[in-house]
Amino acid sequence: MSKDYDICVVGSGAGAGPIISELAKAGQSVLVLEKGPWLREEDFFKDEMACCRRSTYTPKLEDEQHVLEEQMENGDWFSEATSESGWDFWNGNVVGGSSNFMSGYFYRLKPEDFRLLSEFGPIEGANIADWPISYEDMEPYYTKVETEVGISGKIIPHKFQEPRSTPDFPYPPTLEHPIVERIDAACEALGLQSLPTPRAVLSRPANGRNSCEYSGYCGSYGCSSGAKGSARAALLDAAVKTGNCEIRAHAKVYRLKSDSQGRITEALYYDADNQPRSVSAKLFVVACQAIETSRLLLASDGPKHPRGLGNNHNQLGRNLLFSAGGSGTGEFHYSKMDKLEAAALKTRGPFVNRGLQDWYYFNDRAFGGNTKGGVIDFLLRHPNPIAKAMSVRWNDDDNLNWGNELKRDLKTVFTQSQDLRFEVFNDWLPTDDCFVSLDPNVRDKWGSAVARVRLGYHPHDLRVGEYLSGQALKVLRQMGAENIRYSVSGSPPANLVAGGCRFGQDIKTSVLNADCRLHDVENLYVTDGSFMPTGGSVPYTWTIYANAFRVADIIKQRV
Amino acid sequence: MKAHRPHINRRQFLQLVAATGASLPLGQLCAKQSGPETRSETSPYENLKDPWLSLAEVQQHLLPTEKNAPGARDIHALVFLRNMLNAPDSDAEERGFILKGVDWLNDLSVKNHQQIFRKLSPEKKEKVLRRIETSRAGSRWLSLMMSYLIEALLSDPVYGGNRDGKGWAWLEHQPGFPSPTADKLYYKLGQPPRRRTKS
Repeated sequence: MSKDYDICVVGSGAGAGPIISELAKAGQSVLVLEKGPWLREEDFFKDEMACCRRSTYTPKLEDEQHVLEEQMENGDWFSEATSESGWDFWNGNVVGGSSNFMSGYFYRLKPEDFRLLSEFGPIEGANIADWPISYEDMEPYYTKVETEVGISGKIIPHKFQEPRSTPDFPYPPTLEHPIVERIDAACEALGLQSLPTPRAVLSRPANGRNSCEYSGYCGSYGCSSGAKGSARAALLDAAVKTGNCEIRAHAKVYRLKSDSQGRITEALYYDADNQPRSVSAKLFVVACQAIETSRLLLASDGPKHPRGLGNNHNQLGRNLLFSAGGSGTGEFHYSKMDKLEAAALKTRGPFVNRGLQDWYYFNDRAFGGNTKGGVIDFLLRHPNPIAKAMSVRWNDDDNLNWGNELKRDLKTVFTQSQDLRFEVFNDWLPTDDCFVSLDPNVRDKWGSAVARVRLGYHPHDLRVGEYLSGQALKVLRQMGAENIRYSVSGSPPANLVAGGCRFGQDIKTSVLNADCRLHDVENLYVTDGSFMPTGGSVPYTWTIYANAFRVADIIKQRV
Repeated sequence: MKAHRPHINRRQFLQLVAATGASLPLGQLCAKQSGPETRSETSPYENLKDPWLSLAEVQQHLLPTEKNAPGARDIHALVFLRNMLNAPDSDAEERGFILKGVDWLNDLSVKNHQQIFRKLSPEKKEKVLRRIETSRAGSRWLSLMMSYLIEALLSDPVYGGNRDGKGWAWLEHQPGFPSPTADKLYYKLGQPPRRRTKS
């Protein structure tokens, strides 16, 4: 029986882009179903209202939302729909997904991240597992991302440098902010090795894309130059040019239909007019971000999968991961430096490409010896002015701040200092208290059950986050920063999410096999961050891209 | 980076309406224009009527003009507020809540000081607003007014506030580029193609 397409891909972000581009280039007919709109470079501006104050790139919460469960102090779980709480848990829902809006800190995992259980042993209450593949399996694809997506950086040897098949990045580092001299000096004085942070931002034009324009607004903003390595700019545009790829925006897939053999036959979706449609294909790939991927598979029960696709052993949606860690800030007051120094620190545009990996692994008796740590990244406070002004909207007495007092506070927060922030990334251990299910009551505007997400964390995550934050604070102090503060909590960052369909050798403990195909579905792959059994101590995007290129090669072999 | 904008609690809204007596049907309050106000030669503050007149007074009290610092009128904060409340994506309930809050404000002003809000001295205006802040609904109303005011001060001038970039200039803020154009306002981006109609 003929099919409409060779391959149907649900989603179009970092986990989908490599599949789409590689298979379209290989001559396969590829249909992409993307829930959001198709925005191009000419639609992206440095507009805080669009990026961050209104739901421009994400659904309105009245239309589509989540139900989030958090644990209270007495141990009970409290659930609340996000339309009530206002806690928006969406990321970019547009063609190219949230990769359009990333900051582009790009790190590889390290070889030990692929065998965390074997290297560091079990931790009570955590479902740590080794990956079914090794770093060596992934390395060629990490390298491929450097050229195909475009990563700028410079390799400096250090004790935790992961093995590479090429000597350095294909693009030199992006321009750097003058504050990096202060960071480097402080780290040197402390005996630490500050390292240039690789970025998925082009430092010179390539592949029909412009280089960075250094506007100084990157994270949370769509890129108007095409320099940022979003799946859209780096991969999808080229895929469409092959003539083999069709991108259907405003297409919300709500169910994958399967036959008596468990094979996927059709994707059912609502089109831009909210009309139900269906499309058939020989092979399906789901990559619509971890939470929505689990939700779609849970909603897609069939004759051989009565509890949802790949859920015959109740593994689907489990072991969801975020990124643990914390963040902090220190202020550098212009009044305490000369005019030239102040002017240098006020520079807007270049990146603070500095991070520390000195504690990726560390040995500390308080942690019982050899322990998995993480990375620390430095960055300037985001320049978004409305967000900055909102930070003084309430006074110390918890009253609204207005009038001349507000104006003095605004003047101070905008003009007295440059603020350097740090962010800590460490493992969010997989536990039984972090998972996706279908909410029994709340529905989206099309009538489908929304994802209910339990947001439990392991206390070990906070201990490691505190340890690493303590190291970062030493750097800020050494730099002479004032009013230093930080926080570490178990509150998850919604933009760093993985897991839910972990891959592994055993169908009883994993959803996907090592090829990221559902163990018991012959023609369905999952290629977003859902596959990750553990997340490593870095942002996930480079690994998601690399793994999708790996799976693209596997699919190419079978078609 | 997305702003935390919880919607108003319906109970709070109903409490407020009950307290003030709904004098305007919600549909009338929620009539929407097709796009933002464009710049005209006449001042947008001329010939104002309530509720806009009172809202402008509240904004000016919350962000007063100083010799070297712009106030709400200088940045056209009311134009921004009106544009946002009339935007296609604006929440009808929130819009009604803000506009109805004017009745509440004036009722309280008359009750406590025998004059409507805009006729009061700055000291009495401050007292009334601080009194309003002590109730949950009142605090919510003022919080929304402050949010719109700060957005008016620092959003791109294309949305009607931050007139001539006065907010940015005062706070020595360097905006990014490219800046949004009138045909690419946030609520005009990514709209699905128009629904097909039968001929």
